[in-house]
Order: sequence, then structure tokens, then C-alpha cells
Amino acid sequence: MADSPDGDLKYVGRSIRTKEGRAPLIGKAKYTSDYAFAGQLHACIVRSPHAAARINRVDLSAATRVAGVRLAMHGADVAALTDPIPDYLEPALFGGKAAAHRCLAIDEVWCYGQPVAVVVAEDMRTARYAAARVQVDYTPLEAVVDAEAALAVGARTIVPGWDDNLLMHVPFMHGDTVAAFESADQVVSTEVKIHRFSTQPMETRCYNAVWEHNTESITLYGTSQNPHPLRLVLAQTLRMPENKIRIIASTIGGAFGLKMHGHPEEGLICLLAKLTGQPVKWLESREECLLIGAREQKHYIEMAVNNDGTVLGLRDRFYANTGAPSACPGWGMAFLTGLTMPGPYKVRDIDVQMHAVSTNKPSWNAARGYGKESTAIALELAMDNVARQLGVSPVTVRLKNFIGKDEFPYDSPTGLLYDSGDYAGAVEKTLQAIDYDDCLEEQASARESGRYIGIGVAFELTPEGGAIPGSMVVGYDTSSVRVGPDGTVRLLTGVTSPGTGNATGIAQIVADELGVDIDAIEVLQGDTNASPYGFGNYSGRSTIVGGGSAALAAQDVRLMIDKVAAALLEVERSSLVLQRGVYTSTADSSASVTFAEVCYAAYTRAYDVALCIDPPLEATRTFRPPSIRHTPDANGNINPYPSYSNAAYATVCEVDVQTGQVKLLKFAVTHDCGKVINPILVEGQACGAIGFGIGGALTEDVRYDASGRQLTRSFMDYVMPRMSDMPPIAVEHHDMPNPGNYLGLKGAGEAGVGGSAAAVVNAVNNALQPLGVVMNELPLTAPRVWAAIQQASVAPTPGGDQ
Amino acid sequence: MSLYPSYARPRSLQQAVDLLSGLQGGVVVIAGGQEILPSVNYGVLMPDVYVDIGGIEELIGISSVGDELVMGALTVHRDIQGHADVQRLAPLLAQSVSAMGGGWQVHNRGTIGGNIVAMHPLYDIAPSLLALQADIELIDAAGTRRLSFADLLADSSHGLGTKAILTRVFVTASPQSSWGYYKLKNTSGAYGSANAAAVLETEGEILTAIRVVIGAAADQLTLVSDALAGLTGAAYDAAAGAEIERICAQAIGTPLSDHQGDGTWRRAMAGVVARRAVEAALLPATGPDS
Repeated sequence: MADSPDGDLKYVGRSIRTKEGRAPLIGKAKYTSDYAFAGQLHACIVRSPHAAARINRVDLSAATRVAGVRLAMHGADVAALTDPIPDYLEPALFGGKAAAHRCLAIDEVWCYGQPVAVVVAEDMRTARYAAARVQVDYTPLEAVVDAEAALAVGARTIVPGWDDNLLMHVPFMHGDTVAAFESADQVVSTEVKIHRFSTQPMETRCYNAVWEHNTESITLYGTSQNPHPLRLVLAQTLRMPENKIRIIASTIGGAFGLKMHGHPEEGLICLLAKLTGQPVKWLESREECLLIGAREQKHYIEMAVNNDGTVLGLRDRFYANTGAPSACPGWGMAFLTGLTMPGPYKVRDIDVQMHAVSTNKPSWNAARGYGKESTAIALELAMDNVARQLGVSPVTVRLKNFIGKDEFPYDSPTGLLYDSGDYAGAVEKTLQAIDYDDCLEEQASARESGRYIGIGVAFELTPEGGAIPGSMVVGYDTSSVRVGPDGTVRLLTGVTSPGTGNATGIAQIVADELGVDIDAIEVLQGDTNASPYGFGNYSGRSTIVGGGSAALAAQDVRLMIDKVAAALLEVERSSLVLQRGVYTSTADSSASVTFAEVCYAAYTRAYDVALCIDPPLEATRTFRPPSIRHTPDANGNINPYPSYSNAAYATVCEVDVQTGQVKLLKFAVTHDCGKVINPILVEGQACGAIGFGIGGALTEDVRYDASGRQLTRSFMDYVMPRMSDMPPIAVEHHDMPNPGNYLGLKGAGEAGVGGSAAAVVNAVNNALQPLGVVMNELPLTAPRVWAAIQQASVAPTPGGDQ
Repeated sequence: MSLYPSYARPRSLQQAVDLLSGLQGGVVVIAGGQEILPSVNYGVLMPDVYVDIGGIEELIGISSVGDELVMGALTVHRDIQGHADVQRLAPLLAQSVSAMGGGWQVHNRGTIGGNIVAMHPLYDIAPSLLALQADIELIDAAGTRRLSFADLLADSSHGLGTKAILTRVFVTASPQSSWGYYKLKNTSGAYGSANAAAVLETEGEILTAIRVVIGAAADQLTLVSDALAGLTGAAYDAAAGAEIERICAQAIGTPLSDHQGDGTWRRAMAGVVARRAVEAALLPATGPDS
């Protein structure tokens, strides 16, 4: 029930309820799994129970004998009909190693859960029953599970033909780090271990492929964040022309990077539909979804600091356990962790050594934050360690080292060009929002009575909207605006929605540019036969480039409509006023015509009043953010990001020292996403990211046994916070407009996982400081916090000193 | 294990018993489905025959006879939580049923009988039943029998869920006792990492009896009462609390060690939850939802 635009009251900047929110609320949303077709078949995938093994033989005979089974295939069967899956992001572009990614494993399995065979049957239960009858003869191999052990001399190489397991090593270096460390008063070392945690959308992946007999083509209904690029991947995998494949990504129940493509099931399910000539659906189980990993990194950080808190130099050697090679873009998270060092801090002398390591753990895919969350966790834990070592406030250390708000645009030591920001201002707002001084007093009095309250502060710089040359990660996108003869609007955009509400944000922009009611706008996303060629959602890009391109297209169409209105009213275009769907003129008080009448005239009077335009009322435009630079500078660096959103986080916790449990009492965030199009959308994103950060910091953990078998198989084991675990969150906006983008936009969707996780860890360490406990290994589960307290040299003494 | 299972919905208890006695293996008795259906959906369980007792009215409902509370096995958790007789005669049970996770669906559909028959070490109801010295009644082809919940736990051949049907649960109130329940869990949606039900008797400030049952810390319930006898005859104080914590932690033979927490921590937490349950019993004003 949106308000109509009234004078200066625009949609942009207001909290508009999402256009697409009603259907899920009333249970009418059509998720991919809700599509069912005549003759629907179901696939079940047989997965490796070993982390590493040779496949001697796959016997499908018992499965094919089950009544209702239509097809069963193993790796060699599928390989004969498909090509390897192209990488979303080729490691070789960055000097890394290459591996062939197959839909089903051939000869060897590289990780627990890797697909080995598939069974298609008339219903899901039969498929599952038959899949249990596939006999695979394996010879288990020694599993390489730990990243640093994988690099040890003599470690078994997990990919035959590789020299070692180092997928990629990239140094990010600038200045004279040796001199910085020599001149510093102190060197503070911090080891940070970030565990494997993922995103777990409520809707797991689903692919339903339909063989279209009339056109001998495939329609894939799929949970895809990037339908057009996936279409190219499928064309290559399936040896089909791209124009014989249509992808429809309908309502998505959360994606967070996990539904970016490269997954073996995407091409596999299409092949099965083609071979059976019938629709084939595969719905991922939660156990399967939990296989998709992310984030696991070990950092060895050294900061060269002066006694006043100034950080002169940064060294970081880190190892990312990216699991088995895959076509998904997950490994790139490790690259970005290095690229985005040293975050918001004005440290010029850096030596960051990134090692992306392949192991026999299941593969990564992209996960919200895309490596930048790990940058924030590593840096923010290290900054608190500096504060502890120097005996100064963690706030002081940060304020001392932030890039100043008058120092933008800022050339980072890795070549990034930060557009704008006021980091110190954001921290100050956050401290106010959480009543920092009151918290310090409360902490002191709580310690008197033997309670352990801690306050944690952290910052996250989140470059968003990224573009990597030579890949399908591009910086631009395209939208079409079509206004019909009745004045209603069809908006098609190449960006897609994972459920964030970006369609509403983009519609707000278009409503303002066209001067129409937002309810007159229908948005279509995710159908490759209808939408402009687009790149979908990732990297907090959708409103920047989807909104930016839609604004340009809407401006073009508005100009056409204005021209026809002026011709109809016989007034100068400059005298037109459009309010509440009616055109009037400041030149002629009797002139009046409705927006819809003008649109009808534009279509029906092409030979008189509409001679001034080329019908129909449609325009397609691209927004290409100007600050992305792919031509290397003198140091060989590029700037792949058009926006550098940033946020400050603070939280207050209480630790139960008898159990190790952490209870969060308060949370505050101050976020800078440039211009806020819709506050509730931005706040929803911020709160969601904080939920991820809290879960990651405290309870979520994907665990393995020593042989690399995954132990975490359901939500009983993978413990995410529930609503009742969330503290009250104060969300503040601190908008520093981005000079390069439409309306000053920066990304708003990706930020916050790392900053909030780091704030929680810092709060716990702050609470336990009197006990001498410092934990920089995530997650801080109750058993681990308890064990750290037990091991601390100082016994718990209520009211003990700092 | 069958791809095409059979389903039966007997209309009376006798019909159900007759049916079960005539069936071979692969049978599951199902009512609320909160235990069985997730296992079936997960592919862990593929029964040949479902015997759905959900429609047997005589197994539903709560009544009381004097100081004895009688609950039909098919009584759902939500009805137990708010029932006046349960609140009056066995508030500990109401409390522990309320502490159960799973949200509205489990509370509205899950039954006390299903919860007991599952014999799951992490569940909430069993510690309270053992602490309250409850009895249960079951029926099979040999007839109906009533036994103590403690005896049921010790009997691995009871046949519940396949051959026998749990019919009723009995709890006798002891008016002079006080009670506490403490559940430790990692998030509000997680299973317990350790929980404890405590039933105490006091004369003035003096403890006269202590009975603590610890769940979720080992693969079976741990009843601690004799080992705590040394603490009776005196008022509770911090030293007594520390002693309860020590004794109860020690009582855990082989602790569970899983995603909820490693064994060392679980054993220590058994002590912590025991002490907190006892303290909740002694401080009813702040106790119930500590």
C-alpha cells in the first residue's frame, strides 16, 4: 500500500514495504522446488563416504532393477556426454593451478560428499531407495585435511599431476615493511584462526530441468544467483549452444553466495532431463547443503606499532583451507582477504602473503563477505591485541590509525581506490548508540560482584560491486523500463534478488524517475529469455548497478513521455508538472492530461502527437560505475571495486565463567552505504549480517574427523542463533555519498559478517581480561571458553584487577 | 526397510495391541510423529508398517486422583505445560516440558509418550520423571502392567514402540518437596548440553532429602541421591553447593562428547546444572526459569 508521490515526497529514502514480500508471508511464493511438471522425475545423488579414495568400480545394476528407476549413471557415463565445468573464476587468471571439474567423479574422489553416481526415478523416495543400492568399490587414500599440513614436504598431492597442494600464492606488498618493523617501538603478534562456517539459506539448492521437445532445448528452473553466466557454463558443459538453454530463477529463499554457480548438480540435472526427455528435479538436503564450505583461514599477523598506538607496518602470512578444487568461485574469498588488507587503517608498509590451499575437505563456495569478513576478523582481533599489549583503549587504537575522512579518494597499498567514508565518525556514533561510557561503568561494577561483562568494538571495510577482468564477475549491469499504453510499468533487470528486496529498492528509484506510483511497477528478474543480459546478485551490487541502470532507462522513457505530454497539451516541455499521475503546465492553467492518457497517445498516435518519439515506451540502459579501473597502474594494480561501504560495530556481552556461555546484551552498528534508498531494507541486511557474525563467532562450526569425514550433518549439529538469541540491535546510518555512483550509492548487502563476529570475540576477550584469557580462535563455543578459563593462569577471582 | 510401507490406524487400544502382536519386524508405532517423521524424512528410518495410534482417544488427557497425576501417553506437550493439575501436583514436570525445544510444532504435536519411548539422552522430560519417581503403564500381548520409570529405564526388552504401547504416566505429588530444573544449551534452538532435575525436602532451613537426576551429559540418565546424603541434616550453603557440583560431576561415568560439547566440559557441566537445579529448588522465587 504505497503512498503516491506527492510533491517532493519521493520514494527514495523511505521505508517502503517490499513489493515481493507478500507472497512468502502468505505462503504463496513460488520457490524452485514448487515447480512441478507432467512426468516429473526426481534425482538422488550418491556421494563419496571418503575424503580421498580411488574409485575401482561403480555398480549401478541393483539400483536400475528397482521398479520406478528410469536412469542411473556413474562418472564415466556422464563424462562421455559432457565437458568439464568451466570455472566461475579461473585460478589461472591469478597465477593459480587448474583442475578439471566433472559433474560426477571419475577415477578418484577428492572430498567427502563428492558426487559419484546419480539415480533418476519416478518419485524421490524411490530415487533415494535405489541410490542406496549403488555399489561403489573404493580404495581409500590418505586424506589431506589441514591446510598447513597439506603444504608440508611429502604431503600427498590431492590432484594427480600437481606438484603440491598450493592452489595459489599471492603476495600483497607495498612500501618498506622491513624498515617499518625496525623503526617501531614494538611488534605485536596475533594468531587468528577462523573456522569453517557457511551461510545455510533456509531454501536449499534445487534444480528442475525440463527438456523442451518442440524446440530441442532445455529450460532450467534453478536456484541461481547468476542466471545468464550460468547459461554460458551450462552451454559449455552440455555441449549445447547458449540459445538452446533458458534459465528461470524464481523466488530465492536466501543465497549469500552459496547459489553462485559451478556446482556439479547444475549441468548434471540438465543432462538427465535431456536423456530421459522428462523433467528431472533435484532438491538438496540440508546435509548436502552443509557440505559447501567457506572462510576457514589461519592468520599469522605481526603489527609494528609505536607506543602511542600508531601502526607502522603489517605482516600477515595466512593459509586458507579452500577444500577440494571446484568450479565454484569460493577460493576467490582467500584472494580478496589479501587484497583488502589493511582495511580501514592507514598503514602503508605491508607484506601480506596469501596462500590458498587445496585439501580433501569439501569445496568452498562464495559466502557473504567474500573474504572481506576474514580481513575484518583478522585485523580487528589483531588491533585489540595491540590495544591490550599497549594498555590503551581499543577505541583509541582504531581512531589513531583510521584513514581520515578528508583523505578520500584514498589509494590503498594494494591498489584499491576507496571512494569516501568517515570511519571515526561511524565509531563515535556506534559508541553513543551503545552508551559506551555507561557500559564501562556497568562493567566495573559487575566485576566487583564477580560478573564478567565485556565490551567489543570492531570495524569492517567492505568493498562492494566488484569486477574482475576476464571473468563473468563484472562491474556493470543492465535494465529495461517498459511503460505500457495504460501507463503501468514493466521493469526488467539483469540483477537478481536472493530475497533481499532489491526489486523494491530499484522500483523506488524508477517510481521517482518516472513520477509514477510504485504499485504501477512490476519487476521481473531472473529469466534469461526475458531479462536483459545480466550478471545477477553478488558483491552488494544489485542496487548500485541494477538501480543505476534502471534510473538511466527510466529517465529515457520519462523524456519520451514528457515529449508526448507537451505535444498533447501544446505547451513547452519545460513547463510540465507531473503530480499524482496528472500532467499540468505552469504555462497554461487549463492544460491537464493523465499520465495514462499520454502513454496511450504515445502508442496510438504515432503519426501526430507521438511523432516526436520512437515508440514503444521502452529503453534499455547499462550503468557502468566509473571508478572501476582495470588498466593496471604503475605498480601493476587495478581497482576492481566501485564502492567501499563500511561500518562500525559494538557489542556488550556477559560471560558465565562457570559454563563458558556468552550472552550478548546489546549490539550497535553504524553503517555507511552511501545514499540509503530504503532504510528497512538496509537495516534488514545489517541485522542479518550480524546474525551471521554472532553465529559464526559463537556456535556455528562445520567439523570433521581426522580422516576428513564431515561430522556436521544437520541443524542439530550446525547451531545457528535463533531470534531469541539475538540481542537488541541499534542500527545507525552514517552516509558518506559515493561520488562516482548514481545517487551516491554504495553496496549494502554484503557487509557485516566479519565486523560483527570480531566485535563479539573482542567483547568476550574484554570480559575475560581480569582472568588473563585471550582467545583468537573461533568459534568461542561455551566448552572452549570454559576450557580457556580453566587453563588461564589466574584463578577466577571476583573483582580481580585488569 | 520397505519402499512401499503399510499404514494402519487402529481405533482402539485393543485393536492396536492385537495388530502389533500379529506383525513381524519393521513396525513402528507412531502418534505425534515428531520423533519418527524427521528420521523418515532424513532417510535414517524406512519402516515397513506404521501403526498410527494417534486416534485412540483413551490415551489422551490428564486427570488426577488424590495426589496422583495421571497423564495419557498421547497428551501433547502444550497441554501438559498449562494444565492446572500438572501445575499443582508436578510443577517440575510442567517446567521441564516447557524447556523443551523445537518450537510450536513440537509442543503442539509431540506427545509425552513419544518423548519417553524415544529414550533420547538429550530430551527434557525423562530427568524430571525419574526425579519425581514416576510410574508408567504399558500394554502388550501379555496384558497391561505398571512399573516404575526407573525400572523401565533398566529394562532393554520392554518392546515399546514396536511390540508394546505406552499408555499412561503416573506421578505422585509429595507436598513437602521443592523442585528445580536447569537446562544448559548453546543457543535457544539447540539441544541441551546438560540438564538437571532436583527434588528436595527440607525442614525449615535444614535439608532432609536430595534427589538429583542429570540428563544430556551421558548416554543414560544419572540419578544422584545416596551420594548426596552427607549433605542432609544441614542448611544449604556455598560449600554445600560446591560439594553437590563435585559429586554430581563425578557421578557421570562416560560423558557424551559431541557437537554439544566435549566430554570434559559435559562432566563439569553436569555438576554446574545440578547445583543450579538445587539452588532453583531452594529459591522458588527466582528458581523456575533460571
